[in-house]
Amino acid sequence: MNSIHNISIVVISQSDVVLTGLFEILKSSMASEVILLHRGDELIDYPALNGHIIIIATSEEQEKSGSFMRQILTSTQNIHFITLQLHPDSVYSNRTINLFDTPTLICYKVNEIVNSFLSDQSKDTDTELTKREIEVLQLLTKGYSNKEIADQLFVSTHTVISHRKNISEKTGIKSASGLTMYAILKKIIDVSDINQDELI
Amino acid sequence: MELFNENSKLAFVIHKDHSLLPVINRLGIKLGFGDKTIRNICEENQIDLNFFVETINVFHYEAYFPEKRLLDFSISMVIEYLIKTHQYYKDYLIPENDRLIELFLSASPDENTENELVRKFYAKFKEEFVIHINFEEREMFPFILELNAVVENPEKRAQFTKKYPSFSIESFEKEHSNMDDKMDDLKNIIIKYLPPNYDQNRGNAFLANLFLFEKDLKNHSRIEDHILMPKVKQLEILLANNE
Repeated sequence: MNSIHNISIVVISQSDVVLTGLFEILKSSMASEVILLHRGDELIDYPALNGHIIIIATSEEQEKSGSFMRQILTSTQNIHFITLQLHPDSVYSNRTINLFDTPTLICYKVNEIVNSFLSDQSKDTDTELTKREIEVLQLLTKGYSNKEIADQLFVSTHTVISHRKNISEKTGIKSASGLTMYAILKKIIDVSDINQDELI
Repeated sequence: MELFNENSKLAFVIHKDHSLLPVINRLGIKLGFGDKTIRNICEENQIDLNFFVETINVFHYEAYFPEKRLLDFSISMVIEYLIKTHQYYKDYLIPENDRLIELFLSASPDENTENELVRKFYAKFKEEFVIHINFEEREMFPFILELNAVVENPEKRAQFTKKYPSFSIESFEKEHSNMDDKMDDLKNIIIKYLPPNYDQNRGNAFLANLFLFEKDLKNHSRIEDHILMPKVKQLEILLANNE
């Protein structure tokens, strides 16, 4: 639910029976959240969706709203489509889920993709913060805005925002006051450096 | 996962999912109901049967969200339920959290800075949370109820427009995710980062209560975001079309 990996599965089907069934199966997958939609364009109600997204939909639905969904999902790192097949005699592939697959197989296929995301992630990032991220965190705990941090580090605001996103992904902490707590507990800053009443 | 219906015995429902206990209280039911079904109980207590059944199912099963059916309920009924939920937070869950966090932090051998910081973080979270629910009760819910009244009775229109000259529900919609983030942060700080020199059992008790709070809050936000807000937007469109 609050996984730091932040992987969401979006299941799209007009059928509540299909949605509910897949929800039950995918609850035990490694994804952090499962979202159920009747149509692809309903994704517009989830503007804040970020991280890695796995979209499970029929090929018709993908054709109809695939590009629209990509437009909405601008803040995501990675989008992976899995085709949902409704006929028992279709060809087996690990890029498709067939409604007649066993629950274990469906979960297995999804977890394979989740794992590929995770190993991508651990290639360039560990849970340790980089030197630059620590600098951003230090300035953040002093109460500086993204713009001010950008000016001090001679980078763009966009870069600062992306550092902040990575810091939150790695630590599991999102709010500014939570990050201040983290920095103190990890001895990245000293309690005496900050104004406790304002920042925590 | 099974859903409940009007013929389910309420005792059976509670055995299946005891996290519904505060929910049935909010809906106006106390324990001691013997073998009565939901239908019997709702009739006796003059509670809207469909609202009762849908509310416990929404709470019980997170994939269950019959938007269309839920949108049929009267806005005042939904708001009354939401206010009762707030009351449960204010009268019980928050004080209980206060008590448990004190127990857990004060059980450390010596007062240390870390614990003091957790205490401050929690106090800030609580303060923001209370401001948020008070704002909903004092500003947002009254606005919605008056909006509803104007749609039903256009004569009140002039008065309404005077009171809320350029108001729309959009200006109220915010900050749920903010609360969720802070709650998550508090859990992560304790689970992942706080040095464990405190009584583990008391730490666990505090966390357990926080998880309970989170589940309840999530459902509460679901009802606000997916039932209340769409209904209000409908009302605003109706009002605009009547102009």
